[in-house]
Amino acid sequence: MTQQLTPQPEITSSDIRAHLRERAASTVRRRMFTSNVMTVLCWVAIILSAVPLVALLIKLFSKGVPVLLKSGFFTQLPQQPTLFDQTNTGGVSNAIVGTIAVIVYAILASVPLGIIVGIYTAESDSKFAATIRVIASTMVGAPSILMGLFAFGVIVVQLKLGFSILAGSFALSVLMLPVLISSTEIAVRNVPTTLREAGLALGAKPSTTSLRIVLPAATTGIVTGAILAISRAVGETAPILLVIGGAYAVTWKPSDPGSALSVSMYQDVASNYDSLKDQAWGIGLLLVLVIFVLSFAARIWAARKQKVQR
Amino acid sequence: MTENTVNMLKEVQDQEIVDPRTGPIAMRLSDVSVAFNGRMAVRDVTFDVPANNVTALIGPSGSGKTTLLRSLNRLHDLTKGAKVSGKVMLGDDDVYGGNIPVTVLRSRIGMVFQRPNPFPTMSLYDNVVSGLRFNGVKKKSILDAAVEESLKAAALWDEIKDRLKAHGSTLSGGQQQRLCIARALAVEPEVLLMDEPTSALDPIATQKIEELISQLKSRVTIVIVTHNMQQAARVSDLTAFLLMGEDRAGEQIEVAPTLKLFSQPDDPRTMDYIQGRFG
Repeated sequence: MTQQLTPQPEITSSDIRAHLRERAASTVRRRMFTSNVMTVLCWVAIILSAVPLVALLIKLFSKGVPVLLKSGFFTQLPQQPTLFDQTNTGGVSNAIVGTIAVIVYAILASVPLGIIVGIYTAESDSKFAATIRVIASTMVGAPSILMGLFAFGVIVVQLKLGFSILAGSFALSVLMLPVLISSTEIAVRNVPTTLREAGLALGAKPSTTSLRIVLPAATTGIVTGAILAISRAVGETAPILLVIGGAYAVTWKPSDPGSALSVSMYQDVASNYDSLKDQAWGIGLLLVLVIFVLSFAARIWAARKQKVQR
Repeated sequence: MTENTVNMLKEVQDQEIVDPRTGPIAMRLSDVSVAFNGRMAVRDVTFDVPANNVTALIGPSGSGKTTLLRSLNRLHDLTKGAKVSGKVMLGDDDVYGGNIPVTVLRSRIGMVFQRPNPFPTMSLYDNVVSGLRFNGVKKKSILDAAVEESLKAAALWDEIKDRLKAHGSTLSGGQQQRLCIARALAVEPEVLLMDEPTSALDPIATQKIEELISQLKSRVTIVIVTHNMQQAARVSDLTAFLLMGEDRAGEQIEVAPTLKLFSQPDDPRTMDYIQGRFG
């Protein structure tokens, strides 16, 4: 059916053009208005989301810096304040050493294992590899206290090794493993297929191709993933709190009970003394600084390596 | 096809066309088919690859040129669900017969890919000798000699001899592709497969690679896949024309000396294709 047009002899093409121009101008005005409103809304959202972060940092630094500057914070053992000297909190040397010890042992146990398993799951098509992949990606999101409970059940109760740095390291290793496996797997999978094919086409065995072409090309991603896994473990509280023992002694020995920064912080906050509660801010600041340095190192590493490869 | 090429081909029409397949044969394909998960991608390809000549595989997209090429060095072994049937002979050895290990086979049949793919973490030197090292060569004198020799063969020596420690990424695309050619040549293959080696390159880099292909003939048998008919006409001695059949599997339409195929093809579909009526 053809559409019937009503004849409009009095409307000329210049009328149409004038009408169009006017409509177009009003459309532009409307869009400008919408754009301005949206810009304002965006700024409000940005400010609202920045406020808590900035407030946290201000509080952390204003409360924490004096604690870090206090003599003995890094070198002394914790002291219990008394009624007569409520400011005498000592330092956190035990927790600093304990954190380093727990992390180093955890790294030694989990990083090589996690990377090897990650490479395996990336390279293998087997059902077993697929199962590990699913388990790893599920465990990445598991609550960290579960790892503490596991370490408690295995190391403290079953193996009767007691509350110790070793138990803390074990908990952190179990916590880091899935993260390491997943990040390594992604890094290996991101290596272009054409590199692998180039290796095979030169007569390299699949294992040679994996070790000498794919793995070096994935190093950046693997190391970045490992640093991020470590920085996550540094700040963990729950898994260590359950098993480390919270001892007031400086020790590197895996079988000794020890402490860690996050554990000391927890103990300080839970105490009855304001001076200890204040000290918790200093520990918090120290942890944030360490994690900042670690993730900054991860970024630098990734950027530097990328420059070489591009 | 450009007028120049047409004229060039008209001129040669009167010449006597020698079929390179009357000479020594490097590879023999008989009834080669490739299927992915039961779906045919290439069906029943049969032709001989003449030694020390350039054989071009041409055809429109989806005609199975690359798939066929990758069956020659068993690169489909990696793909789950890929099945190659028929027979591929390299000299007297059956490529799929299982008598020669696939690693040995692949060092006898080199490959250059669509996009230059130098190993990003290796220096230029290490890239060139990587194939030798993967196969256990450690002697420095041999490696040094191989680097110079293969870079010269790939027409790259003069450009990079002073910075062999640099990374592959510091080269231009064309240089990278010649580096990949040098890397493939370093293991002294008998056959070199090239999968659209100039598709990612500019015209000048392309020209250099084409000149190189003509020079390399005396040293290695070349099988090249190309989208570009002029390129096939310029560089190859024998051309195989593939076309997608009714069930979307690539089929061999005509294999003939390049001059003949581009001037007096036997099959009307070849004529349609080289005259640009489709594809």
